[in-house]
Amino acid sequence: MSILSIDDPGKQLLYMGNEAIARGAIESGVRVCAAYPGNPSSEIIASLAKVGKELGIYVEWSVNEKVALEVAAGASFAGIRSLCAMKHNGLNVAVDFLYNLNLTGTGAGMVVVVADDPLALSSSNEQDTRHYARMGDLPLLEPGTFQEGKDMVKTAFEMSEELGIPVMLRSVTRFSHARGNVTLGDIPRGQNKPFFDVTKPRLPKPVEKTHKLLHEKLATAGQKFEDLPFNLYQGPDKPELLILTCGTGWYYTKEALHHLKATDRVGIAKVGTSWPLPAKFITEQLAKSQRVLFVEEIDPFLESNVKTFYAQNAAELGPKEFLGKVTGNVADMGENTPDNVMAAIAGCLDDCVVPARDQEHAAQAAEASKRLATTRALGLCAGCPHRATYWAVKNALALDGRGGFVVGDIGCYAQGRGPSGFQQMKTMHAMGSGAGVANGFGQLTRFGMDQPVLAVCGDSTFFHAAIPALTNARYNGSNLLMLVLDNSATAMTGFQPHPGTGRTAMGDTAPVVDVTKVCQSLGAEVIVLDPFDVQKTTETIYDLLQKQDGIKILVLKQVCAMVRTRMGKRLYKVHVDESKCLGEACGCNKYCSRVFKCPGLTFDKTTGKAGIDEAICNGCGVCASLCPESAIIKEAL
Amino acid sequence: MATFNKTGGQQQLKAAMQQSELCTNCGACVDLCPYNVAFNDRIVFLDPCDRDEGRCYAFCPRTPTDLSALYDGLFDAADLTPELGAVKGLYVTRAADPAIRDKAQHGGTVSALMALALKEGMIDSAVLAEDSGELEPRGTVVADADQVASHAGSKFVVSPTVAAFNRLAKGEAQAIGVVATPCQAMALAKMRLKPYAADASHIDKLKLVVGLFCGWALSLQKLAGILEPHLKGSEILKLDIPPSGHACMEVTTEQGMITIPLEEINPAIRPACSGCLDMTAEFADLSVGSARLDGGWEESQGWNQVLVRTEAGQKLMDLAKDAGALEFREAPAGAMDKLKQASMNKKRRALEHLAAQSGSEDDLIYLDPSDPLVIKLKQSWAAQ
Amino acid sequence: MNAVANDPFNVIITGVGGQGNVLASQIIGQVLVQAGKFVTIGETYGVTQRGGSVMSHLRISDLDQWSPLIPEGHAHLIVGLEPIETLRVMAGYGNPDTLVLTNLRPIMPLDVIAGTATYPEVSEVLAELQRLSQKVWTLNATEIALDMGDPIFSNMIMIGAIAGLGLPSVDIDPAVFGSVLEVVLSRGKAATNLEAFEKGRNAVEELHQ
Repeated sequence: MSILSIDDPGKQLLYMGNEAIARGAIESGVRVCAAYPGNPSSEIIASLAKVGKELGIYVEWSVNEKVALEVAAGASFAGIRSLCAMKHNGLNVAVDFLYNLNLTGTGAGMVVVVADDPLALSSSNEQDTRHYARMGDLPLLEPGTFQEGKDMVKTAFEMSEELGIPVMLRSVTRFSHARGNVTLGDIPRGQNKPFFDVTKPRLPKPVEKTHKLLHEKLATAGQKFEDLPFNLYQGPDKPELLILTCGTGWYYTKEALHHLKATDRVGIAKVGTSWPLPAKFITEQLAKSQRVLFVEEIDPFLESNVKTFYAQNAAELGPKEFLGKVTGNVADMGENTPDNVMAAIAGCLDDCVVPARDQEHAAQAAEASKRLATTRALGLCAGCPHRATYWAVKNALALDGRGGFVVGDIGCYAQGRGPSGFQQMKTMHAMGSGAGVANGFGQLTRFGMDQPVLAVCGDSTFFHAAIPALTNARYNGSNLLMLVLDNSATAMTGFQPHPGTGRTAMGDTAPVVDVTKVCQSLGAEVIVLDPFDVQKTTETIYDLLQKQDGIKILVLKQVCAMVRTRMGKRLYKVHVDESKCLGEACGCNKYCSRVFKCPGLTFDKTTGKAGIDEAICNGCGVCASLCPESAIIKEAL
Repeated sequence: MATFNKTGGQQQLKAAMQQSELCTNCGACVDLCPYNVAFNDRIVFLDPCDRDEGRCYAFCPRTPTDLSALYDGLFDAADLTPELGAVKGLYVTRAADPAIRDKAQHGGTVSALMALALKEGMIDSAVLAEDSGELEPRGTVVADADQVASHAGSKFVVSPTVAAFNRLAKGEAQAIGVVATPCQAMALAKMRLKPYAADASHIDKLKLVVGLFCGWALSLQKLAGILEPHLKGSEILKLDIPPSGHACMEVTTEQGMITIPLEEINPAIRPACSGCLDMTAEFADLSVGSARLDGGWEESQGWNQVLVRTEAGQKLMDLAKDAGALEFREAPAGAMDKLKQASMNKKRRALEHLAAQSGSEDDLIYLDPSDPLVIKLKQSWAAQ
Repeated sequence: MNAVANDPFNVIITGVGGQGNVLASQIIGQVLVQAGKFVTIGETYGVTQRGGSVMSHLRISDLDQWSPLIPEGHAHLIVGLEPIETLRVMAGYGNPDTLVLTNLRPIMPLDVIAGTATYPEVSEVLAELQRLSQKVWTLNATEIALDMGDPIFSNMIMIGAIAGLGLPSVDIDPAVFGSVLEVVLSRGKAATNLEAFEKGRNAVEELHQ
């Protein structure tokens, strides 16, 4: 059962922001949903997939965001409402299609949801999606409440269908992953037969016609925005300070004013329709006060566009003081919090002070925490195959002695850049960039480069973006060793399936697109090993590094520790024979816990012996093969 | 007398070897733990060990070494000579078995002695350098007397055979014999002083060290590069360096023998060898080199000279005589003097080199300038 | 139905990534929404799941929907699935009136396992928590979970413990809790988790030092 499919209009439930968005799609009669997993957007499609069969919705994990967007467009062209969701980086991948789609137009309503990650809490970078809407001349909505997360999606579908262009919805982590009260609506049951009208082909040219038409549609959207309840004002008629905000800023500014006791002095104008700007609404709000503070994430999007709007209407609006990111009143990157918004507002008002924490308590607590609360670094899980892989890489590179290195990209294996992965990974960028960058390094032997280069990517990343780079290496003869870390999951984002796992988003069996076979079809040398056999893996990597003949591919195939544990298929039960353990003595010096560093291992300073933490160990058994005294015993389960 | 010993761990060992460039690839620091490995003619420190003292540092023949303590701890004071270490006797021998002599470098004495030691149960495993067509030797273990001869032949490349001893000592073997170069013999001698009580039972398994005379050793990588154009693809059957007057290396392949001038080979000499004082493997139970006979190299090629140093060495030598494993002939007059002179030359060059490298007479890198032995050596040159 | 004291009543559930604080907060939130409250929950997960510190911020209110982040120093109740995480959150969000409920079982950070950092004595951590808060309750949820056969039950045991505190602002009705479990968990798992909830409810003890 899922809270997403409950058919009880008027019932109030606690919904995650992403679930509210998904529910909005359901209540709009969506029938095709596609996405590639990416924090903080993954739950949108994941939760739809859970109820897809029950509600007659097709939901898929696509191999990448461009394909996902294309899937949704195909459905829309055939008169079926569709939804595509992605994280901010995904839009970078999909935008080539999006910027043609805006010109060819859509059929049935199509909503594109993009979830940004301010401060890159789970990303390689941060970026503000709203610029894409402006650049692409597409309408964009930003929910400020959980209810809006649902209601805006319904509005977006209607608007998209009326105008014949995709409509974007922009979320951020603190909305998508937060939970709040949402009231349910109806779940429509009508079905129409898909049909693509071939007399109306979808072509982006001639741009004199199509781009002009797009501008007209955008202007119409702007007019429709004026009637929507998503743009609203709360506060005194003539506030000392007007806050123009959107998205998470709504809750933060409301709470800030409550704590500052400034609700009678400051008014909040919430913009829900972030692009195009609702001109009438903006004009009305600006008239309320001479001083305006912008509160938004990440870039000064609202801030800059309102100022541009103001410049065109300055005579009518009179003098204004604009405060925000550009003026330094609000941080120009990262995420907002109630605390920094409080500080920003107080900084703009006379006689307004942020109520202080109990300073003595705060100081005592900070001191105690600093002294006692040991820092908790991120790392690979106990039993992760990537730890074994990076161990083998470290050893092979040390034996090779030519200063070789690893380049990679995003996923759990990105931990290769930290102590958990023995600091092997030396560059990290976008999906599939490891293979791409390695192509470059691998062409430099002709100029005298003697350092061997390895690239790593995961199995999901392989399908998403690495295949073109590997094809390029084969074709252009770049000398590199590619490690495809096949753990049968898109692990980092929540263990979603992908073409190699034999299962679809909706739980059906799927033909397995075999990673090894795809690699072999390139005509390159391909070897498949179990990374838990670290000795063999080290030797194989070393041998492959000695070759100078183009791309070699080593597929390291071992199931993700978390997936294995969930399946209840742990390999071993592991324990330490203390009588054999050397502990800190010469000959070992805590080789397992100090050097291999798996969190399933412990070292007891009083007894001087290693141990296994049964609450953490996932039973991979690699430590047992590394112990120089054979003091770690693994029993097959 | 103050002891010169310092203690250190892996990090200190690594720093010392990097700074001094004195690592001989003897293998003493390998297979004591998983952190250090010997690979491709070098020692690789795979992972950092943060102990501030350990066996790798203690056993290395090129970390600060108390020479006097080593001699005093292992040999009878009465036998000690400044030029050649402990000498109970000098012999000229060759293997009695022609099959052994056929495979051997010179007289086959080392092979004959090791085979005898195995046969008589003096040892149950012998650590030798492995012979193959390739240049890269590995320390190999033999438990069968008949297999010894197949591993005969000088390699001129120091292989990490002490690592093989370290591995063996952890296992089932109870009595181990090692064929060792002078640096390896010193490492084994440092072990025999048992600085680590926990290791004593392992070290006690070392029953016999047969040392090899050594002028210098070569770097495998560099030698392979130098020989390649000369070999033209044929396999090496034997390498030899006749006495210094010949100034060449003899390389025997299936096509025959070619001589390569030593000056071409010199770039392949390990830098570490310049800092070595030991020509006759002074820390062994007995040491074996090629003989110097009146008939010149032609004659000498087939014979060995042997210095016996300890009771264990004497026991084996006597056994060899009684069992007829070796043929003996009289050492030529002046053989001992010649040996002493050659040995002293090496010692002098080495001390000069160490002082030059450090930039000071008072810093001999791994040796103690205040050691009476070092002082005595310097005095003897001053007297000349 | 109880009125929310100190509206909004702010709860932080903290622990180590993978311990289940997200599920715990979701279940509690759902139960309270059924009781007619406004509940906002703020989470951070994703990368932090891999062994890092995690927090769920819960805002419980009769009046309005509040922001998903609690301002510094404004936590009324801190629930820690791991002892030093409890202390860490106290430093960021506590005040002298804060109530504390903590699990006693440490999870070693990677640096401690590697030997480059130390983990404090849990008794010292508890002493500090006691000094800094109004009241401290403890239980060894992990031990109870291991007895039940799987450490993953510890978060459900902690929910039971929260219920066991009897705070009017966090009133977890067992019947509603059971029905929420049916929806949120996979088929067949509700029964054992209810058992875990009950064990937690009975196991929580006030710390007296």
